[in-house]
Amino acid sequence: MKTRNLILTAIITALALVAFTIEAAIPPLTPIYGIKLGIANVFTLFTLYALGIKEAAAVLFLRILLGSIFTGQIVSFIYSLAGGILSFVLMVLLKKFFTLKQVWVLSVLSAVMHNIGQLLAAIFMTSSVQLVYYLPVLVISGIIAGAFTGLCAQLVLLRLKKWSENKL
Amino acid sequence: MKTRTWIIILSSVVIVCAILWMSILNSLSPSKIVGIYQDGNLVEKIDLNSVTYQREITLTGEFGKNTIYISNEHIEMKSAECPDKLCVKHGELKSGGTPIVCLPNRIVIQFEDDSKEADAKTGAVR
Repeated sequence: MKTRNLILTAIITALALVAFTIEAAIPPLTPIYGIKLGIANVFTLFTLYALGIKEAAAVLFLRILLGSIFTGQIVSFIYSLAGGILSFVLMVLLKKFFTLKQVWVLSVLSAVMHNIGQLLAAIFMTSSVQLVYYLPVLVISGIIAGAFTGLCAQLVLLRLKKWSENKL
Repeated sequence: MKTRTWIIILSSVVIVCAILWMSILNSLSPSKIVGIYQDGNLVEKIDLNSVTYQREITLTGEFGKNTIYISNEHIEMKSAECPDKLCVKHGELKSGGTPIVCLPNRIVIQFEDDSKEADAKTGAVR
């Protein structure tokens, strides 16, 4: 990893953490776990396109680890991790099928995958299969949240086209 | 794939999920038997119809105590010491609702399908 990339990764991780911490301070809209915007995903997506897979993985997993510590919600660590791994693998695998103007679609797919991962972790932790009832709601919220964060990342990427094509 | 194709696919998924969610909310069994689980183990099974006096159940988990309030007709998570308190915000369950979940302490309150005989006084199902 070049020094430049290392520093950029560190800065983006810090930014993602700030976004995550602020979002965690906002009271949840609904009594259903897993419905939130996931602003921090903007940073992961951006890094994936602008810097690369390794860097994006670093941003994602450091943010999940540090974010759980900073917000004091260690419980959410397992759920974030389950969702994070699944959605990240999906993003990396499908990235090549999407152009820069379709980043938001990739984001939607990964957000839905993220929610499915969290739901699976919750079903596993509570051993209660009935939680599957929440799947439709979580899919809808994933699509909305994913489209929003994806659009954010996409707009930034289009404005920083040089970066996103790895020319820097 | 074209962006327009994706928009069509995604909006149809949203519609399907919305319909699914509505039908789940409608089709949940009108059962009045509720099971309280912690870590996947049954703590207590209660028939809400035959609860004659109000009582509280306190469960302790890694993240503090959860107090479940039961009266004739409904059950609710009255208080929780966990950080997010989503289970308290879920409100009360009367019959056939989506399960109340407390992820920190791994407690699930859900309706059961089977209709076994319940204790007349406490509503506890044997």
